[in-house]
Amino acid sequence: MSVVVIGLSHRTSPVELRERFAFADETIPDALAALRESGIATEAAILSTCNRVEIYAATTLAPHAACAEIKKFLIAHHAFERALGDEIYSFAEPQSLNHLFKVASGLDSMVIGETEIFGQLKDAYELALAHQHTGARLNKAFQRAFNVAKHIRTATNIQRGSVSVMSAAVELAEKIFSSLAEHEVLVIGAGETSEKTARALQSRGVKKITVTNRSPERAATLAAELGGRAVPFEHWPEEFERIDIAISSTAAPQHILDRAKLEPLMKRRKNRPLLLIDIAVPRDIDPAVNSLDNVYLYNVDDLQSIADDYLNLRKEEVARCEKIIAEKVAALIGAR
Amino acid sequence: MAWFTDRHCFLLAVIFYGLSTLYSVFLWRKGFRRDEWANYFLLAAGVALHTLAMFKRGMTLHSCPVNNLYEATTFLLWALGLACLVYSLLPRFKFLAAFTAPVLFTVGIFALMPSLDPPHGLKPEFSGALRSLHAATILQSYGAFGLAAVAAAMFLMQQHDLKFHKLRALLSLLPSIQRLELITLRLTLTGFALFTIGLVTGSQLPRPVGDRYFSDPKVIWSALMWLVYLELLVARLFFGRSTRRFTIGIVIAFVFLLLTFGITNHFSSLHNQ
Repeated sequence: MSVVVIGLSHRTSPVELRERFAFADETIPDALAALRESGIATEAAILSTCNRVEIYAATTLAPHAACAEIKKFLIAHHAFERALGDEIYSFAEPQSLNHLFKVASGLDSMVIGETEIFGQLKDAYELALAHQHTGARLNKAFQRAFNVAKHIRTATNIQRGSVSVMSAAVELAEKIFSSLAEHEVLVIGAGETSEKTARALQSRGVKKITVTNRSPERAATLAAELGGRAVPFEHWPEEFERIDIAISSTAAPQHILDRAKLEPLMKRRKNRPLLLIDIAVPRDIDPAVNSLDNVYLYNVDDLQSIADDYLNLRKEEVARCEKIIAEKVAALIGAR
Repeated sequence: MAWFTDRHCFLLAVIFYGLSTLYSVFLWRKGFRRDEWANYFLLAAGVALHTLAMFKRGMTLHSCPVNNLYEATTFLLWALGLACLVYSLLPRFKFLAAFTAPVLFTVGIFALMPSLDPPHGLKPEFSGALRSLHAATILQSYGAFGLAAVAAAMFLMQQHDLKFHKLRALLSLLPSIQRLELITLRLTLTGFALFTIGLVTGSQLPRPVGDRYFSDPKVIWSALMWLVYLELLVARLFFGRSTRRFTIGIVIAFVFLLLTFGITNHFSSLHNQ
């Protein structure tokens, strides 16, 4: 008996196709039962996320024949009638186990190294296990996949660093301030990205948030959502004495904060460090303010560049992870 | 084992400081990315041997080993090494060892010069509890100033990287700059308090006939160092001097202290009785 995998992912198919093949959670147990009753698979599990739909099966059939049958089953189950090219992939051992380990470790994800897939794979396995659709072969394969993913997480830098603009901003704040809980954030301009950045900061301990916007209603709404307070737009410079992080994303056509304006504010702040995150285009903050002592200015390009650098670092780690996975797959097959 | 003197022990300690320095270069090139203990243990081995060296010398003299330039320098380095080991236990401060080891190694090599450690003769040059207290507090204050300079150097590196958007600032496992500033300030305050106690106890020591305190180069130099650190602290605490200027001042002050400490000691008649 060997393990095979059939599926389609963000690498091989567009979202329009993936959504046609997606399984709702409540339909998975019946689909697994039907697959096993058909005699194609002895054990099976289905992983269905926004980025991939995959069927993992342990089968006594010849791998090539099993893959073809499961593909037919998948198409028939979703009543898909259009012709397909290479959108659906299939792997037999040892590539099937290699693929499972890579998926568990986030190496096959859209954002390399992300951890959400680990939880989704675990849920998919536990659902199949709960309905007794797995046996010795798949249990061992999945449990080994989870162990390998944990090992890779600790032994490599594949999950290190921020790969989004918002998380890069949070990481910067943590490199400047000892504890975010003690620092107040000013959100200038109630845009979507500034809201997300403020929320990311809140998730890391920020407790006080002040919002200002040209439209006072929008400022009040966002302040209420974030559990902060709103201040009139013309009064935001007065907040600089208290706040330590400012996120700016107004639609102003010119700089709203420049060196001449910030210099006296810094004196009033007694030169405490100030992190300025300018995510507006055109920029809200004059780049010249970065030359002031204790001022750290990052615009959207700086943050994106950090996120890209991190992503490149993760890509550099892929080779190390693949080597670990190859060793673990060989060990699993050798132990049978 | 009679051939194995305290100087051999100190030589071994300096070799460990050298190994730690080499390892620090590796850590520096790697960008301080991995949390690790190897360098800490290298430095700890050096400090353990250093402690043994001082213990052996102290047992031979039956007093605190601060009687000549070699002993004073090794005491200073010991205080710095020990403080470094303690502070390295704070979260994200393990890399303090990487910044301290080069100072311990280079000054340790200097201390090993035989001319700094002449034979004691019949009596130690320093004796009495007050003299020991004076020498020990002064040298411990230098240790605190040294570690403050190390934390200040870490601050300046991190601040530069953050200011100029270097990825290394995020990748390294160094503490936040706010924390580094706090540690620098606290160590400087500790050093200043110890230095003040050391100077006060020194002024209470019996004056040798014919010597005047304020014409002695070491006393003038000590008063100058005290004023330098006072100015740095007052400007930072009460006049809002920027952290960057404060930390640069701390590094310069300690480099000046290291470079001039031996010279002023050599020309001081009060300290060469």
